[in-house]
Amino acid sequence: MSAAEGIRLPRAPRSDDSDAGSRRLALLCAGAIVALVFAQDFAPAWPGFHTWQYAAAVVLAAAGAGSYTWNARKGADGAFAFPLGVAMAGALVVAVAGLSSGLLGPDTQTLERAPGAVAPLPEAGAAAFFPNVDSTSLARGDIGITLRRRDGSSLELLAGQRRFLGAAALVLEPHVAAYVEARDARGDHLTITQPTNAAFLSSLLQFPQAVPIAGQTLPADQFAIPSAHRQIKAFYFSRDATSKAHVRGFAGEDAVLFAVDDENGKLVPNGIGLARSGDDIQLAGLRLRVTIGTYPGLAISAVPLPLALGLGSLCLAGGVLAAVLRVPLAGRRLSR
Amino acid sequence: MRNALGLLFATIAAIAAVAIVGDYFAQSTSSQRFAGGPAALAGAPAASYQLKRLDGATDSLDRYRGRVVLVNLWASWCAPCRSETPALEKLYEQRRSQGLVVLGIDQGESGAAAATFARQLRLEYPILLDEDQRYGRAFSAIGLPTTIVVDKSGHIVRGIDGELSLAEMQQAVDPVLRL
Repeated sequence: MSAAEGIRLPRAPRSDDSDAGSRRLALLCAGAIVALVFAQDFAPAWPGFHTWQYAAAVVLAAAGAGSYTWNARKGADGAFAFPLGVAMAGALVVAVAGLSSGLLGPDTQTLERAPGAVAPLPEAGAAAFFPNVDSTSLARGDIGITLRRRDGSSLELLAGQRRFLGAAALVLEPHVAAYVEARDARGDHLTITQPTNAAFLSSLLQFPQAVPIAGQTLPADQFAIPSAHRQIKAFYFSRDATSKAHVRGFAGEDAVLFAVDDENGKLVPNGIGLARSGDDIQLAGLRLRVTIGTYPGLAISAVPLPLALGLGSLCLAGGVLAAVLRVPLAGRRLSR
Repeated sequence: MRNALGLLFATIAAIAAVAIVGDYFAQSTSSQRFAGGPAALAGAPAASYQLKRLDGATDSLDRYRGRVVLVNLWASWCAPCRSETPALEKLYEQRRSQGLVVLGIDQGESGAAAATFARQLRLEYPILLDEDQRYGRAFSAIGLPTTIVVDKSGHIVRGIDGELSLAEMQQAVDPVLRL
C-alpha cells in the first residue's frame, strides 16, 4: 500500500460523475460570484456595476450555485452535499450583497460642499465635515475632509486616500476653487455672500456651473457684496483656456474673469476684468483679490455590505475547506 | 441532511436580512441627525478662532469656556441685524450677572464699519472682527443674523437662523443657564 493510499478517506456515498460535474460547475459559479462582487471593492467607481449586464452575470452565477444547493438538499452528491451546500449558500449571500450595492445601489456621486458644511452619508453611517479654508491652505491644495461616525469617532480623509465605511467607499477628489476677498476704494474689508449657495457666508467659489464664453465652456460661479450693492459673476480660465483665448499677459496662467453687476443684474461700467491668483484687481470701485487652488470633493460609491460579504465569504471558504478535507489528498480524483 | 441544509440556509438568509434591514434603519437615523444649516450643529463642539476685538485686544470663543455664550453673527449692512441688536444688548444687561456672555461677531468687515455700528447702537458686549468670515462658515450660516448658543463645556446647544425677539433669546439661553 502506498503512502497516498494510506491516507485515503472513505468514499463519498452516492457521488458519481454527474455529481462531480455539478460540483465543479457550482465551484466555478461561486468563484465567479466572488470575483464579480469583490471587484466592487477594488474599483468602486466603475459604472458597470450598476448595469443590467453586471446584474445578469451575478444572477447567472448565483443560479448555478443555487441549483447545487437545491439538488444537495434532495440528497445529491453524498458526503460533499453538506459542506458544499454551506459554501454555495455563502456564495448566494455574497451575490445578494453584490446585487444590492450594484444594480440596486446608487451610482457613484461626488459631493462638493462649501467650507463648514456637513454632509450626511447614510450609506457610510457617518457625516462628512468640509473644512474651513483660507487663501493659504487653498493654494497649498492639501485640505482633507473629516468623517465623523455615529459612535462619535472621527477620521481624516486625505487626497489620494480611499476609505471603506459601512456600505460605501469614499475617495477624496480635489477640484479647482477660488478664494475671493473684497475691499472698497479705501481698503476696508467687505462682506462676501453667496445667496444662491447653502453656505451663505462662504468666500470660496467652486464653479458649479458651466458657461460658454469665446468658444470655450468655462466653469462659472457668482457672489455678492451686499454693502456695495453688487453682484459678481466669476469665470475660471484654466491654463489651457487662457492660452486658447489669447489673452495678452495671461497665456498659460490660471485666472478668473470677474463681471460686476448692480443689484438689478446690469453690468456696471468698468466692471469686467481678469485676475491672476494672488493679484489685486480694481473693478467698478471695488478691489478684488482671488487665490486659485483646490478644495476637496468627496466621491461616494456603493460597495457590498461588509457584514453580508464577510458572512457569505466565511460560509463559502469554510464549506469549501470542509469539502476539501473530506477527499483524499493524493492518488485519487476529487470525485469517484 | 435535507433538514439540516434547509435550516442552515434559512439561518444565513435571516442574518443577512437582519444586517441589511439594520443598516437601512441606521441610515435613516443618521440622515435625521445631520440636517443642514446652523440648527444641525446642536451637540457639536463649537469652532473657535482667534480674532481681533473692536477694542484691539485678541479674543476667541474658547476664552469663555465655563460660561454660557450667545454668539451673534452680524454685519453692518444687514437690516435685520440692526433691528435685532437692541434686544441683544437688553439680554446682555439682564443675564450678565447669571454668567451669560454675548459675543457679537462681525462678518467680513473692517473695524471702521463695525465701530460705527457699535457706537450708533451703544453696544456694551464684546465685538469680534471676523474679516475672513470663518465663524460664518463654521456655524453653517445660511443668512444673517445667525445666533448660536454655546454651553459651559463649549458645545453648541442651539443654532438659529434669522432675527430673534428678546423673548426668543431668553427662551434659548435660560434653560442652558439653569444647567
